[in-house]
Amino acid sequence: MERMLARARRQLVVLALALLPAAPGHAVIPGIQGPSFSLRAGATYIPTPDGDSLRIWAFGAAAAGTPLQYPGPTLIVEQGATVTITLTNNLPEPTSIVFPGQGAVTTSGGAPGLLTAEAAPSGGTVTYSFVARQPGTYLYQSGSHPELQIEMGLVGALIVRPTGFDANVPAQRTAYGHPDTAYDHEYLFLLSEMDPRIHDLVDFGHANLVDNPSAFPVLWFINGRNGIDTLSPAGAPWLPAQPYDALARTRPGEKVLLRFVGAGRDPHPFHPHGNHSRLVARDARLLGTGPGTGADLAVDDFTFTILPGATYDAIFTWTGRKLGWDIYGDPSDPAFAHDCTDAVDNQTGAATPDDLDDATAEYCPDHGKPLRVTLPGFQDVAFGGWWSGSAFLGHFGNLPPGEGGLNLNGGLFFMWHSHNEKELTNNDIFPGGMLTFVIIEPPGTAIP
Amino acid sequence: MATNRLLLAALATAALLGAPAASWSAAFVQCPGDTDGDAVIDDPGAPELAGRDVQCQHLTGGDGFIRMGDGRELYVFGFSDVTGLPQEQVLAAGIFRTNFPAPTIRTREGQELYLTLTNVGTHQRPDLFDPHTVHYHGFPNASAIFDGLPESAIAINQGASFTYYYQNIEPGTYMYHCHVEATEHMQMGMLGNLYVEPLQNRTGYGGDPDTVAELEGGPPSAPLGYVYNDGDGSTGYDVELAVQLAGFDHDFHDASENVQPLPFAAMVDTYPMLNGRGYPDTVTPGPLPKLPESRSSDPISPQRLGATVSVTQGQRLLLRLSNLGVVRHYTLTALGLPMRVVGHGARLLRGAGQSAGANVFVDTSAVTLGGGESADVLIDTSGVAPGTYFLYTTNLNYLSNDQQDFGGMMTEIVVQ
Repeated sequence: MERMLARARRQLVVLALALLPAAPGHAVIPGIQGPSFSLRAGATYIPTPDGDSLRIWAFGAAAAGTPLQYPGPTLIVEQGATVTITLTNNLPEPTSIVFPGQGAVTTSGGAPGLLTAEAAPSGGTVTYSFVARQPGTYLYQSGSHPELQIEMGLVGALIVRPTGFDANVPAQRTAYGHPDTAYDHEYLFLLSEMDPRIHDLVDFGHANLVDNPSAFPVLWFINGRNGIDTLSPAGAPWLPAQPYDALARTRPGEKVLLRFVGAGRDPHPFHPHGNHSRLVARDARLLGTGPGTGADLAVDDFTFTILPGATYDAIFTWTGRKLGWDIYGDPSDPAFAHDCTDAVDNQTGAATPDDLDDATAEYCPDHGKPLRVTLPGFQDVAFGGWWSGSAFLGHFGNLPPGEGGLNLNGGLFFMWHSHNEKELTNNDIFPGGMLTFVIIEPPGTAIP
Repeated sequence: MATNRLLLAALATAALLGAPAASWSAAFVQCPGDTDGDAVIDDPGAPELAGRDVQCQHLTGGDGFIRMGDGRELYVFGFSDVTGLPQEQVLAAGIFRTNFPAPTIRTREGQELYLTLTNVGTHQRPDLFDPHTVHYHGFPNASAIFDGLPESAIAINQGASFTYYYQNIEPGTYMYHCHVEATEHMQMGMLGNLYVEPLQNRTGYGGDPDTVAELEGGPPSAPLGYVYNDGDGSTGYDVELAVQLAGFDHDFHDASENVQPLPFAAMVDTYPMLNGRGYPDTVTPGPLPKLPESRSSDPISPQRLGATVSVTQGQRLLLRLSNLGVVRHYTLTALGLPMRVVGHGARLLRGAGQSAGANVFVDTSAVTLGGGESADVLIDTSGVAPGTYFLYTTNLNYLSNDQQDFGGMMTEIVVQ
């Protein structure tokens, strides 16, 4: 019996090792696929974590039974496609959609408006069409009475996949068709803010009393959710009009594409903890000197100001390189046993060492180096809910009763948030607002 | 059964590793080569230091008082530097001793920093039991345990110490702050500068020993230092001025001092500051005089960091700009002086994809920073007429100390 168990255990270990190099899964931004879309605009409510229920105006897929949502559905199309969007307006005033960054948008139906053709209230329709000539991350938003309608929630993201894009082929999984923009996981961070006084006025039928210059937002959103709803699962049934989450997950050494969209009225300095990120594109254009150069003007930074109406693409990678201690624990301790083997360059696959373990991306020169300090005892510290109890990736330590419990895999949690820290609140209540996390999951963890 | 035994062994190991260590009633410094607990290395020959470049620093986290440009005293949370103080004296000495801005942490590429944080408590607010942390903002490839985020790690309670360990590998202009209840503790003043000096200061560039930085013993003809490992001297500077942007909302501080609900939503910057002071205090060199009625216990001044500088025509002035305000973006201009942005976010502005390394410096007259952003600005004063120049925010309604006009986020740069 013991021999059988031992053999089974060995097989499990072999299986686990076999799984390591090809860690399963890649995060993909959820959305609806084009090139033809049928959208509607209407009024609904969203709950906010301060206990409010906020009247919003939102886009939604026109299909029966599909809720309106904030932000609108993420529209995903292929480069070169002729995109067609038909909008049905169920709002009490004319509305429309503009597509910043798209040239030669043609319209049919509707009535002429200041910026574009508009759909009449109470059931009017209008159709927009354009060729998605350039790949990248875009914004779409209302072009009618925008000073009110964008505040009310009529915003969304548009993603144009580059020619030849294939999510299942690493070399073709890029944001801009160039290897500099290759990634393993992609996440959307659509940033916005709201002033509930405006929404209450609209709710009570006094939209004419809204005073835009005095707008004073006290609620801040990522992908239409306030912290820490940002961490609830995508499609959570208790957030029916806010289907998109904002929790990023990755494994060491993998590339995470961050697609930022400034969808509100204010600038927000977004700070991804954990490592610098490389800004490779701005407003859906690669930061390069010319065709074929790739993102040769890309720079690394630790905080990115996301301006209203602008979009940004950045790539984040974490390995724990040069921490000066082994973040996988003491390899001579059986509980932390692990190897560091470096024969190939993890990025190129070439037979040249890159100091990173070929499977786990552990930084080999730090392999076996001890944690340099003694951590304080239980009585001397306050514990975070996402703390595993261990400084080491993929491990758990002892915690007092009632502490921790939110970290399922022994991952490292890093906050990604607005660094205008006033925005980490939900209408006077800390914490919340423009706040989410990335989880550096242990090698081999399934994502999503 | 064997599986169960293995599991039990693993659990026992975990229990040992995670077991509570001794609880200390005084500060507890961890610093290799320090034999008496004052965070000063007094045995550089200690075997554990062999081949290593180690620096230790001891900070307290607590509360205190500072003075605004219009004379108003504000209650603050903050850090103070107690490196060199015997650890058994720190809890008592730390009472009301905090500084704003927090003490500057200056380290260098390749150096290991043992940073001890002792939480001395909030003596104006005995009802609080707030822990504190250090978030080394921008530290590359961070670990969760030393990231200072209380939600995803541990934060040190009052009366105890936590030693952070950082191996500094990327030069540049960083910052640090407490991340516990971040909006509150940062509004209350737990904000500091942190620089990593580049290896190039010690090596020079192009194999020319005459380019070793003056800071590191190079000749007077060499720059005082470099901001980055530029390889060509393009980030060399002769004079350095750190400028931290931040704003306080006095209603928030008064509410905190008086144990009232904290006004998060209403928060606005009523006291916009450079290096923790509003104009005209900004032109006082070095520490602000400590008034006799001040409740701060700092023996020198709770506001030590000057915000003005004097350069000789022809010198290159480095402005290490950072914004740690919690409310808004600010734009700074240096009217009449050419600003060249050579770094941003603790990175040389050089295209990442270009192996040849073309700089993407920006020549400008205005630099905008949101909270948590930093920029390295070089001002070449060659050909600049001698005189007094103003460095100020072009968000002109922030040139005030609350109700007092002609103040706020402004200082002077003198070219001689």
